[in-house]
Amino acid sequence: MSFAIETVNLTHYYSKGTVQQVAAIDNVNLQIEKGELVGIIGHTGSGKSTLISHFNGLLKPDSGKVLVDGVDIWKDKETLKQSRFKVGLCFQYPEYQLFEETVYKDIAFGPKNMKLSEAEIKERVLRAAEFTGVKAEHLNKSPFDLSGGEKRRAAIAGVMSMEPEVLIFDEPAAGLDPRGRKDLTELIKNYRKQTGSTVIVVSHSMEDIAGMADRIIVMNNASVAMQGSVDEVFSKGGELREMGLNVPEITEIFAKLRARGIDVPANVYTVEQGEKILRSLIEGRSAK
Amino acid sequence: MIRDITIGQYYPGKSVLHRLDPRMKLILTFLLIVTIFLCKSFFSLGLIALTAVIAAAISSVPAKMMLKSLKPIVIILVFTAVLNIIYTEGGTVYFEKWGIAITEKGVNTAIFTMIRIVTLVIISSLLTYTTTPTMLTDAIERVLSPLKIFKIKVHTLAMMMTLALRFIPTLIEEIDRIMNAQKARGADLESGGIIQRAKALVPIFIPLMVSSFRRAYELAFAMTCRCYTGGEGRTRMKQMKLAFRDFSALVLCLAITAGVVVLNHFFEAVI
Repeated sequence: MSFAIETVNLTHYYSKGTVQQVAAIDNVNLQIEKGELVGIIGHTGSGKSTLISHFNGLLKPDSGKVLVDGVDIWKDKETLKQSRFKVGLCFQYPEYQLFEETVYKDIAFGPKNMKLSEAEIKERVLRAAEFTGVKAEHLNKSPFDLSGGEKRRAAIAGVMSMEPEVLIFDEPAAGLDPRGRKDLTELIKNYRKQTGSTVIVVSHSMEDIAGMADRIIVMNNASVAMQGSVDEVFSKGGELREMGLNVPEITEIFAKLRARGIDVPANVYTVEQGEKILRSLIEGRSAK
Repeated sequence: MIRDITIGQYYPGKSVLHRLDPRMKLILTFLLIVTIFLCKSFFSLGLIALTAVIAAAISSVPAKMMLKSLKPIVIILVFTAVLNIIYTEGGTVYFEKWGIAITEKGVNTAIFTMIRIVTLVIISSLLTYTTTPTMLTDAIERVLSPLKIFKIKVHTLAMMMTLALRFIPTLIEEIDRIMNAQKARGADLESGGIIQRAKALVPIFIPLMVSSFRRAYELAFAMTCRCYTGGEGRTRMKQMKLAFRDFSALVLCLAITAGVVVLNHFFEAVI
């Protein structure tokens, strides 16, 4: 079975051919399996965004290959076009891409470009809208009349309606309040569960990533510095800090508790997990 | 890539031309351009062309960049040259056929016009090569400030220019971002006829307009918060002061203009 996305010696330079030439990503070899939920973390300028822009052919590699479902996306024009539909990319602040007269038309923009039938388009739009929680009465409104959070949902629906095999989110929760953040994390998790598609999430928030990813890829200085399960990556707090990253706050709290001699596990990455452990600890004490 | 477009063509350097007061540079550029049009003979034109070349050499702007600024006018040059050769008559006839005559005067005029245009472009691009866009708008504001008498809001106009220049790179970045987002949704920007392509731009320009207005409101709000009320009573962080070199440059340029007038008087006019 081929991988959902595979990169082979992928390299991309910025300002190529000038004195300022720098490698934005340097010889990256990655395999992303079908159905996986992968988190990509890395400090600003580590090459995360450049990397994901290669996954659907928005950027052309200077050397190396990108294989989607085992096929080189730069093989010919048609393959490239199809790769855009196979790999959906939802950019940071996607609400700035809204342009149509109505929310419905905007969500239909992607499927329309796929040349689907009217009936199929309608089905997909309604499905995506329902999934992202865009209210039915909003579908005939102008997208510019929605609130910030609603716009974000509508824009995400616009990418989801293409029903891509791989869906990539670049900082999906940027600029949202804690409630919005949590809702969105749930939405992404549900999407994966229901559709079984591959999901890649790029984020600065260690908490968000820890709460949903099966596997984490850490980017540093244009290449992959580390990859592994949530446990494997966040157990290397020292290395992460050297790269300007961190472990989730809750993990740090537990590390401090351990330093004070309280017997708690070190591999706690989400608040829910931590809450459970602390509660049982308190109950255990009061029982004594 | 769209990002590679250079806006304003400032070339950083420390030459005398870079250090001249922008106001003086603006006025001198204007003076030299007028002088170019005063030229009537090859000798006077030669003097101003030589001045332009020497100035370009002093400016430490690489010859390659200077040539680049000449590239867009090649078509205009060829066009004017051809028209001049065909339509100007007089002197020795070099060639005559199909009702077209190429004469001595025609060729002379063509060469004269070409040198004139090239000199014009060199001098005006030297101004933009050695002055940052902000310095330039600042200078325009100062030079035009006497117009206040006619109730023209010079400061506001200059501020608008500065802001427009400031936001060009931001907008380019924004276009880039929106284009990528729409391409990711399968928007096809590269194929189809003119109408189809124009239609394909709608998903780019609407979000661009929306965000431009948002930016404009935010900026206006931020400026108001910092008590911006226009030009009245406003002081500056960077004061412009005329130095000795500015006056030397002025004298030099006036001398060149005078030289042109004198040479015009002594040599045969081409135009």
